[in-house]
Amino acid sequence: MTFISRRDLLKRAAVVGAAVPGARRLQPSDLLETPPQSYERSAAAIALQPTRVREPLETLTAGEMDILDAVVARLIPTDANGPGATEARAAHYIDRALGGALASSRPAYTSGLAALDRYARSSRGAAFTQLSAIDQDSVLIDVETGAATGFTGSSAAFFALLLNHTHQGTFGDPYYGGNANFVGWDLISYPGVRTMVTATDQQQLEKHALKPNHKSAYDTDMFTKATARANESSLPRRSSPDAGAKAGRSVSDSDAKAGLPRRSVSDSDAKAGLPRRSVSDSDAKAGA
Amino acid sequence: MSRWPLAFICVGLLGARAAAQAPQTITVESPTLKADQPIPRDYTADGRNVSPPLTWTGVPAAAKQLAVVLQDPDAGNPPPFVHWVVYKIPPTAKGLPENVPFEPDVPMPAELAGAIQGVSGFRRPIYRGPAPPPGKVHHYHFVVYALDAALDLKAGLNRVELLEAIKGHVIGQGELVATYERKP
Repeated sequence: MTFISRRDLLKRAAVVGAAVPGARRLQPSDLLETPPQSYERSAAAIALQPTRVREPLETLTAGEMDILDAVVARLIPTDANGPGATEARAAHYIDRALGGALASSRPAYTSGLAALDRYARSSRGAAFTQLSAIDQDSVLIDVETGAATGFTGSSAAFFALLLNHTHQGTFGDPYYGGNANFVGWDLISYPGVRTMVTATDQQQLEKHALKPNHKSAYDTDMFTKATARANESSLPRRSSPDAGAKAGRSVSDSDAKAGLPRRSVSDSDAKAGLPRRSVSDSDAKAGA
Repeated sequence: MSRWPLAFICVGLLGARAAAQAPQTITVESPTLKADQPIPRDYTADGRNVSPPLTWTGVPAAAKQLAVVLQDPDAGNPPPFVHWVVYKIPPTAKGLPENVPFEPDVPMPAELAGAIQGVSGFRRPIYRGPAPPPGKVHHYHFVVYALDAALDLKAGLNRVELLEAIKGHVIGQGELVATYERKP
């Protein structure tokens, strides 16, 4: 498995192409790993090569994010059971949280991701992101079982950290930046946070027929903490309580437009239009 | 007749019975592993960590099932540390190929149809090669068992459970020992 599928590349390239006036439409042959012999690598040709569009990162470096993205994609893979950690944007949850409540784990990610990649290169002969899915799994099992070398302490400790945060990013409340579009909750058939459950709801729940409400806990006023209200007062309220959640809480302008609730917003965040959440570990674990 | 000849006959019969019960020796070899030599990196956690190819000869004709265990008596608490468990191997199998399927949904090769990978010390039903703490040579025993019955063994057995389940059914046994050491 490669980190970015050709379909993804096509989609991303198509977006870039659409945004660049005069750019020629991307052809499938542009994506061949070995260019056709007639293809000359002129400056113009290089300029037309698909450029990977990357969202702004809050904490991790681009290289670290590539590795983390590939790791979470194997920890909770996208498969016949449905979407996985990639669709839930678990890596972006981690990137965001490492600048806040999980800041104490930042050094572990710096050394751990580097060690994981070094181990992949030394044992499997390629960067982790370049390995097949089976080899990536094999590397991760070595990391999980403590068999991998080059880590500060046991690799198992870093794996446990990664898995824990991936769970948070996949199944936590979307308010914190992961579980985009509630894919994590849908995956486990969690019907959503409810402040009131009727007898009918209860009956439906027991029959596993209760439809998910796709609402964050913070879409309900009673869960909005008092410290958040002051910050929120200066921000626009979203018109629809679940509009932002459905947008996936990405690090994007759409968040600001959606008027997501904010807590402890820093100046730089405000300028960037990024929601900064002072999320605690226990908050995330509880999915609250 | 004195008692002594009778005693000799009894001892002789017991000896013959014991000899009949002693497992026949199976010769275990590998195209890539050499006895008492370091295991190639590809079969360890420092390499691709795929299972090595094994071959065996001398399996008793009466064998109905085979099993393979890879264990390291130089590690584990208590020893040995178990790296691999495979059982319900057809008696017609002459060995195991390199890189036995890693994913549970990938079927075993036809010649190993029905074989099951048990749970290792890594708590996984797959091969995981040597990954010893540095500073000491470890010995890895690839043990092959021939069983006198096609036992209905459930999935998910570990080495201890497997050995308990096959107790009294082992009619052939052999092993190949190779080594591995990680440098500090």
